[in-house]
This record gives sequence, structure tokens and C-alpha cells, in this order.
Amino acid sequence: MKTRIALLGQPNSGKSTVYNALTGSRQHVGNWPGKTVEKNEGHYTYDGVKYTVTDLPGSYGLTGNSDEEVITADYIKSGNADLVCILADASQLERSMYMTAEFAPLQKPAVLLLNMMDVAKAQQKEIDYELLSQRLGIPVLPFTAAESKGYGELKKLLAQELAQPHIISSAPDVKEKHYDDSMADSVKDDSGAKYEWIGKMLDGVTSSAQKEYRLSAFDRIATAPFWGKLLSIGIILLAFLVAMVICIPFMSIGSMLPSLLGKPIADTLGAWNVHPWLVSIFSLIIPNVLYFSLSMAAFVLGVNIVFGFLEEIGFLARAAYQFDGVLSKLGLQGKAICPMLMGFGCTIGGTCGTRVMDNWGQRMLAMAVVWAVPCGSIWSIIPVISGMFFTPAETLLVSLGILVYMIIMMWLVSKVFGRFLSPKESRTGMIMELPPYHKAHWGHILKESFLKAFDIFKRALSTVTIVSLLFWVFSFSTTGNVQDSLLYQVGTFIEPVTRFFGMGWQTFMGFLSSAFAKEAVLGVLNAIFVGQNSLVEATFHAGNTATDGAVLSQMMSQTVSKPEALAFMAACTFNIPCVMALTTTYRESHSFKWTARVALFYIGMALLLSCAVYHISALFM
Amino acid sequence: MKLSETKKDTHGKVMGIEGDAHFVSRVTAIGMTEGVPFQTVRNNKRMPVLVYLRETLIALNRSDAERIEVESE
Repeated sequence: MKTRIALLGQPNSGKSTVYNALTGSRQHVGNWPGKTVEKNEGHYTYDGVKYTVTDLPGSYGLTGNSDEEVITADYIKSGNADLVCILADASQLERSMYMTAEFAPLQKPAVLLLNMMDVAKAQQKEIDYELLSQRLGIPVLPFTAAESKGYGELKKLLAQELAQPHIISSAPDVKEKHYDDSMADSVKDDSGAKYEWIGKMLDGVTSSAQKEYRLSAFDRIATAPFWGKLLSIGIILLAFLVAMVICIPFMSIGSMLPSLLGKPIADTLGAWNVHPWLVSIFSLIIPNVLYFSLSMAAFVLGVNIVFGFLEEIGFLARAAYQFDGVLSKLGLQGKAICPMLMGFGCTIGGTCGTRVMDNWGQRMLAMAVVWAVPCGSIWSIIPVISGMFFTPAETLLVSLGILVYMIIMMWLVSKVFGRFLSPKESRTGMIMELPPYHKAHWGHILKESFLKAFDIFKRALSTVTIVSLLFWVFSFSTTGNVQDSLLYQVGTFIEPVTRFFGMGWQTFMGFLSSAFAKEAVLGVLNAIFVGQNSLVEATFHAGNTATDGAVLSQMMSQTVSKPEALAFMAACTFNIPCVMALTTTYRESHSFKWTARVALFYIGMALLLSCAVYHISALFM
Repeated sequence: MKLSETKKDTHGKVMGIEGDAHFVSRVTAIGMTEGVPFQTVRNNKRMPVLVYLRETLIALNRSDAERIEVESE
């Protein structure tokens, strides 16, 4: 029995909406063999039969030589799909039928979905889809992907067509099946022939009189050179605030878990005479893992809801148009502006915000660049630490220095990783459509966001547990004294080396803890210099980790020199982001190899930076 | 004249596309073929050119717009 369906469509055709609605949470993400292109496969059951759905990579055509097009064309040609479901945008039918024209010569079973019928209706476009179906020789289904009501009919049609398939009965008169770089003229002629064929197919099906286009009042501002950029930044920052508002309730519940669950667990286990080490592991790590995973899921939820909204209404395309010029210098698409701005609030938010990017390479590169943006936690600890050593004016200079180095770091990351993730020859100037503004379909946005958040929560549990255990092993001490922890042993042992990088063992431990959670840095410094809490409690937010700035400041300034403080702040700020952001990057990129590469680069660069800052500032201070 | 030199609200026809097969395939796949009527919607310095054709608003970066030969009505 034939059960394999492939989805084919141009960007903005609503392909991923259909894919998500059909398969729900029954999805699997991998890579196409040998390629850095994401392969999405999922399944659904209809009438007791299990169907497999492959979401083919989005591209505008099938005959070009981009990875996406080659993969898609090969997949279809080799007969891996029993039925291809082609999507076209009913509101821009002529242009979006191009994919159908590219597909027709392949002579494979297909159905055509005319998506965005709601937009077409709003524009008073009428489409005689029965006539179109007659001409093409395959079923044509008018559809609105973001509304759930049409899916029953779609599944029925797909089942029917798998049993009794139809093949497009006519094809454009093209000369070549595949083009190499020297065949520009053939491409031109054949593209012309394809649109001619589309014109014939659509004759009398819909009216496509070219009208005068007027920018809406909003778009006149959104596309203006200066005000448009300002508006985009404003809207994205506002979106971030809304995302925060969505996730704050979840996060505050999560943040109560360590103190709420820690003691009962410790007491219960203690009463059962469990070994104190195990008590410490269970009472500190479990609530903390739950807290971290819940926070991550909440961020993913918030960011997915606001970005899902901005993308669906069509605003993201405007922001991409505004910032494409600047970001192309980093090898990134204009859309990367959204995750980058989000990164100032939270690196997790920025990392999962890269979902708006078109392909895996761009996505991974955007995540690597977003890591360089100092997050909200860094902006909250730097003034405190800087204030212990420097005047407010000097602290302002420190912050400025961080911003300047952020740009340098972004440039470095794009230089080092850009040539692998976004190779020069695949970097192309912006050619994209700015879709008409749509109404948002909330049901669909919320459903997709919750699925995504729940998925991250499940996956984060295991990863965060492993990393937490590692940190626990390093920071645990039987007596509660810092001196008895493995971290101290290792720290003091390698101090001659860390000194070279500008940090003594104490600040180096602070640096290491900044890789766990940025906001843990103050608590850890407090544990080391003041010694009220144990290191492990400070790292895992347990007990009373409130820091008395005055006492800490006094103790720290006795041991730490000004150049060391500067070096330490630089190292913490540009270290790898927290464990949660690291996990999110791994989960979103599906690549351990690339996450590890980028992480090693950041750690190395943070140490080099710290070294340079220490030795240069020591000359002046 | 070149597409990058057209003024806002110019109506015209695309006359020629200059470039290798990869470039031609990219611009024609989004609808910009020789002979297609278009309208320049926005053309600001150092920004992609916004054109309207085949019922679609398209942003095309400047250096590529310089390779599109057009004739205004």
C-alpha cells in the first residue's frame, strides 16, 4: 500500500503550516545525507492507515543548483514519494504556480493545494479551481492552511489519490532538464516558457490584471530607510517584552522549585538514612533541573508565540528587508535581526528566535552570532562587579567597551564559521517577496508554540541533568568549605596558567560558573570571598544566596586587582552563554558537532580576550 | 535603463537579465522574466529596490537590480 506523501511549495506558501497541522507532534528532524539541509519527516493516521509526510526544503524552483533544489528534485525523481502535494498561494496564483510548472515535466502523481483562499477572498479574487483541475488533470483543492476545518477533506483526498493517482497531463515546452552555469540563455527561455504555460492553464481561471500598487500607510513607514528601521527595532523589542510577559509566570513558578522542593526532598531522604552525597544530588539538582527546563520551555513558548505572530502577519519580511544590507556583511540574511535583538534580553530567546531563518546553515550561524550578544543577566551583573572597583563613569566605559567588542566578536564569529555555514558562493543578495499582511490565526500559532515548548521541555530534562551533575561533581565539598571542592583543587592547581590569562583561581572559578548561569556568578564570588554559602548552593540557587554587595566588594578588592577585575568581566561576558542557551542551541540545531565547535571557540576567545585585557590594562593601572 | 535607476512609481517592462544561469534562475523563479510588466514601488539609496510584478511585492538587492535592464512606459 502506498503511504508516502511529500509536500512541495515555495517559501511563504504555507507548506510548514500544513506539515505541522498534519503531523502534530509526530515529527522527526534530521539532515539530508551529506548536506546541511534539515530533513523533516512526520506521520499521521487516517482511517487506520499510517501515512508518512516529508516536508521538502523550501525553494522557489526545482531546476536551480542550490542544495535545497537539488535535494528536492532528486527526491521526487527517485520516486521516494508516492504522492506529491504541491502548494500554491491562491492570492498570487500566477507567480506561485511556478513550482507546479517546474514539477510538471517530472511526470509524478500529484495534487495541487490552493492555499490562502482566505486572503484571495479578501482581495476579491475568484478562482475557478474546477476548470484548473480539468486543465492540469490532477485534483485541485481550495484551502486555508491556518484553519483546522479543511484537514479532514485534505486527508480524504490524499488517501484517494494514493490509491488512484493522477499525473499532470500537460507540461511547459522546455528545452533542458538541468542547467549548468553557462546556460543562462536556456534558463531565460525555459522560464519564459513556464510562465507561458502557467498563463495558458490560468486563462479564464482567475483574473490577473496588473493594477497600480499602493503601499499601505503602515508599509510606507515600514519600508522607509530610517523610520522603517526604527519601527522594526521598536516592534521586535516590544515583541520581546510580550514574550517575557508570557513566560514570567512559568519562570516564577520554576524559580520557587529549588527552595520549595529542596528541603522536603533533603528531609525525606535524610530520614531514610540515604548517603548525604546522594541527598545533596537529589535535593539540589532535581529541583534545579526542573527549574531550568521549565524556564527554557517558557522562553521557547513566549518567543514562538510572538515570532509566529510577526511571521504570519507578514511583518518579519519587512524587518528582513530593512536589515539585509548590514547583516549580509556577516553572511547573514536580514531576518537575523530579530534573534540578534532578542539576544539582548536572553540568549535562549535569541537562539530559538533563529527559527525564522530559511536554512540550517544560516540558522546555525545566526545562533553562533547571537551568543556574542550580552544577555540581560550579564547587563545585571556587570554594573555590580564593575561598581566594586570603578567609578560610575568608568563603569559606563566598561559597558561601552562591551558593546564595541560585541561587534568585533560577531564579525570574528562570522569570519571563522561563516565560510562553512554560509559559503561565499551560496551567499546571494536578497531576492524575496514581501507578502501581503495577513490576519493572524491564533489557534494555529498557539498550538504550534505549545507543541514546540513541550518538546523542548522533554528534551531539556536529560541534557540539563547531565550538565548539572558535572557541575555538582566539581563544586561539591563534603565540609561545605570551598577548599574541599574539586573545583578548588583544579583551580589552584592550574592557577599559574589562569594567571597568564589574567585571572586568579577565585575569579577563574567565577568565570567557570558563568558558563553554568550568568546570574550565578555573584553568588559564587560571594561563596568564595565571603564564604557564607557553599559553592554548590550558590551555583544551584539554593539556600539564602542573597549577596551583600558591600561586604563582597570589600573582600574582593583586597585580593583582586583592577586589571584582573576588567579581565574577569570581559571573560564572563564573552564566555559561552549559560547551560540553558547551550542546550537550546544543541536542541534547535540538532548538531552536537557544531554546538561544540562554537562553544570551544567562545571559551578560547574569552580566555584570549581576558589575557589581552589583563596585560594591556596592567600597563596603565 | 537599469531597474536600480528607476524612480518610484515607474511602470515598465523587464527587457533583459544579465548574469549566469544561477542568477537568472533565481530571479525568474520569483517571477521576474523578460517581458513582464512591473512597477517600481520604492527605490531608496543603499536599500533593496521594491518592485511589484505578477501580483507580488518583491525586494531585490541593489547590485542585482543593476543587472536588470528595463524600459519605462
